[in-house]
Parts: sequence; C-alpha cells; structure tokens
Amino acid sequence: MNLPKFDYEAPSDLQEACEIKACYGDRAALLAGGTDLLITLQKGWLAPSRVVSLERLEELKEMAGFSAGLTIGARITAAELAESWLGTAEQVLSEAAAQVGSPLIRNRATIGGNLVSAMPAADLAPPLLALQAAVVLNRVGSERVVDLEDFFVAPGEQVMQPDEIMSEIFIPNLPEGSGGAFEKLGVRKALERSIVSVAAVVSLDGDGKTIAGARIALGAVAPTPMLAGEAADSLIGKKATAKNFAAAAKIAAGEARPRGLRTSAEYSRLMVETLTKRALQRAFAAATA
Amino acid sequence: MKKCHITFQLNGATTEVLVAPNQTLVGMLREDLGLTGTKYGCGEGDCGACTVLLDDEPVNSCLVLAAQVDGRKITTIEGLADGDRLHPLQNAFIEKGAIQCGFCTPGMILSAKALLDDNPDPTELDIRTAISGNLCRCTGYQKIVEAISHAAKDHSSPEEKS
Repeated sequence: MNLPKFDYEAPSDLQEACEIKACYGDRAALLAGGTDLLITLQKGWLAPSRVVSLERLEELKEMAGFSAGLTIGARITAAELAESWLGTAEQVLSEAAAQVGSPLIRNRATIGGNLVSAMPAADLAPPLLALQAAVVLNRVGSERVVDLEDFFVAPGEQVMQPDEIMSEIFIPNLPEGSGGAFEKLGVRKALERSIVSVAAVVSLDGDGKTIAGARIALGAVAPTPMLAGEAADSLIGKKATAKNFAAAAKIAAGEARPRGLRTSAEYSRLMVETLTKRALQRAFAAATA
Repeated sequence: MKKCHITFQLNGATTEVLVAPNQTLVGMLREDLGLTGTKYGCGEGDCGACTVLLDDEPVNSCLVLAAQVDGRKITTIEGLADGDRLHPLQNAFIEKGAIQCGFCTPGMILSAKALLDDNPDPTELDIRTAISGNLCRCTGYQKIVEAISHAAKDHSSPEEKS
C-alpha cells in the first residue's frame, strides 16, 4: 500500500487548478475518483511531484439540460449516471455506468476520469461516442471543445495537453423518437473489464419504422474505443427490422480491429456481431417506447 | 512532502490528523488511528475488504487518499455498534452464520448498511448487487445474503423482534 512521495493540493476552483497545471504540467497528476490514479501510483507507473485533487471543484459536479443538449460535469460519478434518467437515447450512458466496476467503484469513478484514462475497454466511452459527445478542455485563459471521436489516440493516450483539465462533457440533443442501448460482455457481472462492449443509438423517422440516424460504437476491440461508421450508415433510410440490424452487425464485426489480446480476434468479432444486433434491437425498442 | 492537516467526522467524532500526503484512507485508519476493523486486502479496489462509508456511501478506502476526507464523514465498522449493543446487521451476521474467517465481514456489513439505509426492503438481487464489490472466499455468499435479508426484515418491522 506504499505510494510514492508527492505533495498534495486541493484547489478550490477550476481557475486555481488550471494555474497549478500551467505551472507543473505532467508533474502534477489530477485526482478525481482515484480508482485509476491510485493504482497507477501504487504500481509506480506514474511518479508525479504533486497530486492535485479536484474534490473541491463543485463546478465539475453539475449536470444540466439546455435546448442544445446536456452537459455533464467531469466529476459526475458512474453511480450518479446510473441513477439518473437522462432520456430514451441517453439511457445508453446510464446503462453503461451501471456496469462500471462495482458499487464501491461506481461511487468514486468519474465520467471524466473514465475518458481521460483512455482505456480501450472504458465502459463510458462507447455510449458517449454513440451519443456524439464532445468534451470541454480548459487551461488558463482558454478552453477548447473536442469531439469525442477525435479524442482517443492509443491505449492510455488522448489529445489532452499537460496543462489541460477536462471540465465537462456535452451531449447534443437527439430528435424525438431516438433510443439507445448498451451491451457488455464479460465473464462475470461485477468488477469486470469488458471483453467486448457495444453502444447503439438510433433515431426514427416520423413513421416510427424507418431509421433516420444511427450510431454504433465499440469498446475493447481496437486500440481505442471506436465508431462503426459503415455499419451505422448502412441503416440510414432502411426499415428497423431484425434482418437489417443483423446485416449492420455483420458490417460492424468487420470494422472492429481486435488485437487478440484478451480473447481471440475471431471471437471478438463474433461477439461484436451478436452484441451489435442486441444493442440495435433494444435501441429501437427504446426509441418506440 | 508537506504533511496535510485534516479534520473530519470519524464514527461521529470530530477527528484531527496530521497525515502524509501519500497515505491512503485505509492506511490512516489502520496505522495512524489504530482502527484495524477495516481490512487491507488487494489494495486495488477489487476485493472490498477495506470498504468504509464516505458521506454514507460505501467506497474502497484503498483508493482514497487520507487527505481527501478533509471535511467529510467516515463510518468504519467500529462505528456501528452502540456501546455493547451490536447493529442489527452485526447480529444478523452472527445469527445466520454469515461469518467464517471474518476478513470480508466489515466490508460486507458496511456495503449492506448503505443498501438498507437507502432501501429498507431490498430484493435478493438488490442485495447481491450491493455486495458485488465485496469478495468472500469462505461462505459462498448464501448466508451473507440471508443475513442481510434477515436484518432488513428485522429493521423494517421491529415489533416482530423476539
């Protein structure tokens, strides 16, 4: 349980936190839920000179709906997301949040931390990709908005600069008649890193049967969480039928780029196909509910 | 490495500690404060032996820095009994034989307490989900689930107590 030596700071607002990051950059590690950082420190994979707790940043703890969409503070926990009713499409995020780690982990793990850690199997990444989310990155004197699909670079790597702090996640409003669903495959129900995960969001035309928009995102089957763009595009203008969903699922399996690390690549692809079918079917059901 | 001066509520008592910044919450409880009821297991948030309540929510105390609990409220297993009177969950665990080696018990009871405080009438699935971050290698969980269910019934209808 020995952690390396570091100094501890708990700034009282985002401005102060950004100033610390501006001064120390990578030498200052940001602490939100701690469910990744404390393990990283313990293993000696990271040796910052200081740990900067975001505990007191109340502005990162807000969740608000606007006409354009929903903003979620980066410190909102998985437990808070799991317990929130966000909408028929946005429930894809609540479903995924309910399957993060364990109740103990969910009470601490934050949405921002899950993204910043940039793990290929991060549970909250596929739903947020499927919801076309963007993240807000702050530094002293400025902020930038990055589409989540441009955020991940490699396992454990994303586009953030050493002086940046993620403050919130933005989810644009989807049209009426949209639904979302998340499917996760693991060998157990708790404390499981996904073997494959799939998030699907579909929007229906006024007839309630034709697909006007679709997004499918995959977790743990590529170096980063990814969108299955061709699979989603293949559904546009088609009827929401089991046959069309099955055809799209097959395309998604082809788009996955599993490296065969935790299971064989062949099995990963088969599971992408199965889970995509299920996710689309349930997303459609949610859209018509 | 400058020490951190923190003040927090520990089992109902205001507590002040000068703690090393790299000390974890479980480390402070066990080593600095001598409260060894909280167990140290895996140290990675996988086993739940170190479960404590932070502002009434169960968390892995191995994944929290001691300095982070400044101004917060912590409940450990030592804070459950009222003098010699055990908490209904503690009695239920004894009565139902839900304790074998006992290493997971403090964490199990605190996860269960958080559940029952929130939901006095849980289903079996609610109970199993609530303790899904707490590993027991002895009992097979059945008696633990029975004990929590028993404590819930005991709790919600005190007139039935014998």
